[in-house]
Amino acid sequence: MAVETDFSQDGKKLTIKVKGRFDFGKHQEFRDAYERQAAKPDSVVVDLKDTTYLDSSALGMLLLLRDHAGGDDSDVRVVHASSDVRKILAISNFEKLFDIS
Amino acid sequence: MPAEQPLTVLVAEDGATDRLLLAQIVRRQGHHVYTAENGEQAVALFAEKRPQLVLLDALMPVMDGFEAARRIKALAGEALVPIIFLTSLNEEEALVRCLEAGGDDFMAKPYSAVILAAKIRAMDRLRRLQATVLEQRDLITRHHHHLLTEQRVAKAVFDKVAHSGCITAPNIRYLQSPYALFNGDLLLAAFTPAGNMHVLLGDFTGHGLPAAVGAMPLAEVFYGMTAKGYGLAQMLREMNAKLKRILPVDMFCCAQLLSLSVQRGTVEIWNGGMPDGYRLSADGEVLSSLPSRHLPLGILPPERFDDSTEVLPLAAGERLLLLSDGVVDTADEQECLFGVERLRAVLAANREPVHLFDEVMQALERFGGRPRDDISLCDIRMFTAEERVPAPTIYSDSGRSSPLDWSLGFALNGESLKRFNPVPYLVQLLQEIHGLRPRTGALHSVLSELYSNALEHGVLGLDSRLKRDVHGFADYYQERGRRLAALVEGFVRIDLKVEPLAAGGRLIIEVRDSGAGFDVQQVLSRPSREDGLSGRGLNLVQRLGSSAGWREGGRCAWVQFDW
Amino acid sequence: MTDMHIDHKVLSDLQEVMEDGYLQLLETFLEDSERRLSQLHGARNADELGMAAHSFKGSSSNMGAVGLAQLCHQLEERVKERPLYGIEDLINRIDQEYLEVQRFYRGERERVSAG
Repeated sequence: MAVETDFSQDGKKLTIKVKGRFDFGKHQEFRDAYERQAAKPDSVVVDLKDTTYLDSSALGMLLLLRDHAGGDDSDVRVVHASSDVRKILAISNFEKLFDIS
Repeated sequence: MPAEQPLTVLVAEDGATDRLLLAQIVRRQGHHVYTAENGEQAVALFAEKRPQLVLLDALMPVMDGFEAARRIKALAGEALVPIIFLTSLNEEEALVRCLEAGGDDFMAKPYSAVILAAKIRAMDRLRRLQATVLEQRDLITRHHHHLLTEQRVAKAVFDKVAHSGCITAPNIRYLQSPYALFNGDLLLAAFTPAGNMHVLLGDFTGHGLPAAVGAMPLAEVFYGMTAKGYGLAQMLREMNAKLKRILPVDMFCCAQLLSLSVQRGTVEIWNGGMPDGYRLSADGEVLSSLPSRHLPLGILPPERFDDSTEVLPLAAGERLLLLSDGVVDTADEQECLFGVERLRAVLAANREPVHLFDEVMQALERFGGRPRDDISLCDIRMFTAEERVPAPTIYSDSGRSSPLDWSLGFALNGESLKRFNPVPYLVQLLQEIHGLRPRTGALHSVLSELYSNALEHGVLGLDSRLKRDVHGFADYYQERGRRLAALVEGFVRIDLKVEPLAAGGRLIIEVRDSGAGFDVQQVLSRPSREDGLSGRGLNLVQRLGSSAGWREGGRCAWVQFDW
Repeated sequence: MTDMHIDHKVLSDLQEVMEDGYLQLLETFLEDSERRLSQLHGARNADELGMAAHSFKGSSSNMGAVGLAQLCHQLEERVKERPLYGIEDLINRIDQEYLEVQRFYRGERERVSAG
């Protein structure tokens, strides 16, 4: 599975892992990962450890996630991004919207 | 056992017994049967009745099965009409002949109804599959045609919106892919009435019509506001708000927006999400980069949008190189990226600016193993005053009324000074006066100049002498930003008075500020440094208006226009 | 006699398939097979003979006349080799076999017409 989800013990934190290329092909899977959950988590973590590449449609998907999670009131973090992926996120200044580490 | 779906079947067999038997077997399975005694009859019957399946004896008089099969296949065209050869021939060579003639299967004698039923069912499945494939192919072709037409229309509409630009100005060189519009790449350029050049390099997410559709409202705002003389900050706010409102959440537009002012020798820049641009010396040496400092357009709501720009010096002959996505991230077979270092190497090695694009494209092709057709490049040289082309001004009235006896006072206080620039509104108002219309460009320049002087030197107390060199420049604008953000009190007031004259009219502009003023005599006695980076621009103003001067200890600047 | 000459399973399948057309099939075969036999006798060269034998083999086997079909098959194979030995003998045996087959199918025809 290219997109994996994992809930924390208390069900409050949802982790979404994206493997391989994070591009338009992952659109439906990524959406399902956060839309098809029974409970609404307090925070979402997007784990990009195994993500090799990120393009503008992936940025769009992150925006959709943020919007779904409450927009300005959301708590969405992007973690374990490789240096290449971080560069792409940096050019778009996405750290102004997401906590990126 | 009856068949699932009754077919029309042609049975061609020269033996009367076998023909009778076979026809009966097939009929019993629920199909409709036509019979022929020889190959010639078989072909004629096929042409007339167009059966869906053919059972063909290999050896027949008049025309044998092989020739009949060839002709029947030719008549069938694209559609699949399965042919089952009836033969007791069991030499491989004979069977090969059957296949080469177009046969799809064989049936041996003695005939078995069970086997025949199975073969017919299997062949019919294939026949229906082929029919579906052809149907879908035709549907796709029609759809594709439709899409191409839509794209052509979209492009035509877009070209009408975009045609009013000055992308063909002598100081701009650009390379744009023929697919640019449908990659979401945008390159727009236009002059303001005051003679500044605005340039937008944009990249919408996505491809095809969605990207093109977002480009149109953006282009309209760009051209409309540039023609009215709005500054970058106001244009950015408007563009961002518009895109935020009309685009879906996951669509946005990376953009680089620039304003070049030959008067001031500056370039003002805003970069949200585009790759680094470069500021180059006249010989192509990289002086600084223009990095992305903002989120792309269409993401943040208006109250959170950051319209702050950077101002850099750009002397005559110096250049700006802008790139779209795809240059730095071109990858080779090992997935290594072209990167910034290689690009800088190409820039450094370039001798003739006119060859720069070719050199970049060749370097990319060599590196990546294939030419790229989806990149935009733009090379902008700081233009000279002679190269300016003022924008055609947009008048909204019918040209009949022309108020000639009025006055207006407009004061901006404190906080309002931070984000609002009144100049475009006031100039629009002045355009009501027909006699002034030929001088719209000059009016823009004068009002802009006086307003920014009043704000920067008057209210904010900045010393223009700071701008004497590149470092000072950066310091000046940083300080400007700081002081403006911290501003609490202060005002700039603009008074306009229009009165009729015998054969025309007179406009008097007065711009006052809350600053400390300055020693007018001292500044006037300094030698005019038109090519310098600083100055109160008084000489410029004097050149453009009928007369100009200072009052109230330097706190009030006035200009008079007669026509 | 009937075991060597006629395959009764094939015959009963034929009856079932043909239903009311069984009689017509029998008539057609009797007429058709006579013609084929003269075709066999009238062949002017080895190729024509082979083709006639091949065709006769086909219709015979469809009708369940297995002995006849087998002999035709032998003839078909034999004419491929040179020189042509024992052809006359084989053709004679086909004639003989055919007489038996003809007699049988005529009997069938009578039986079906009556009942």
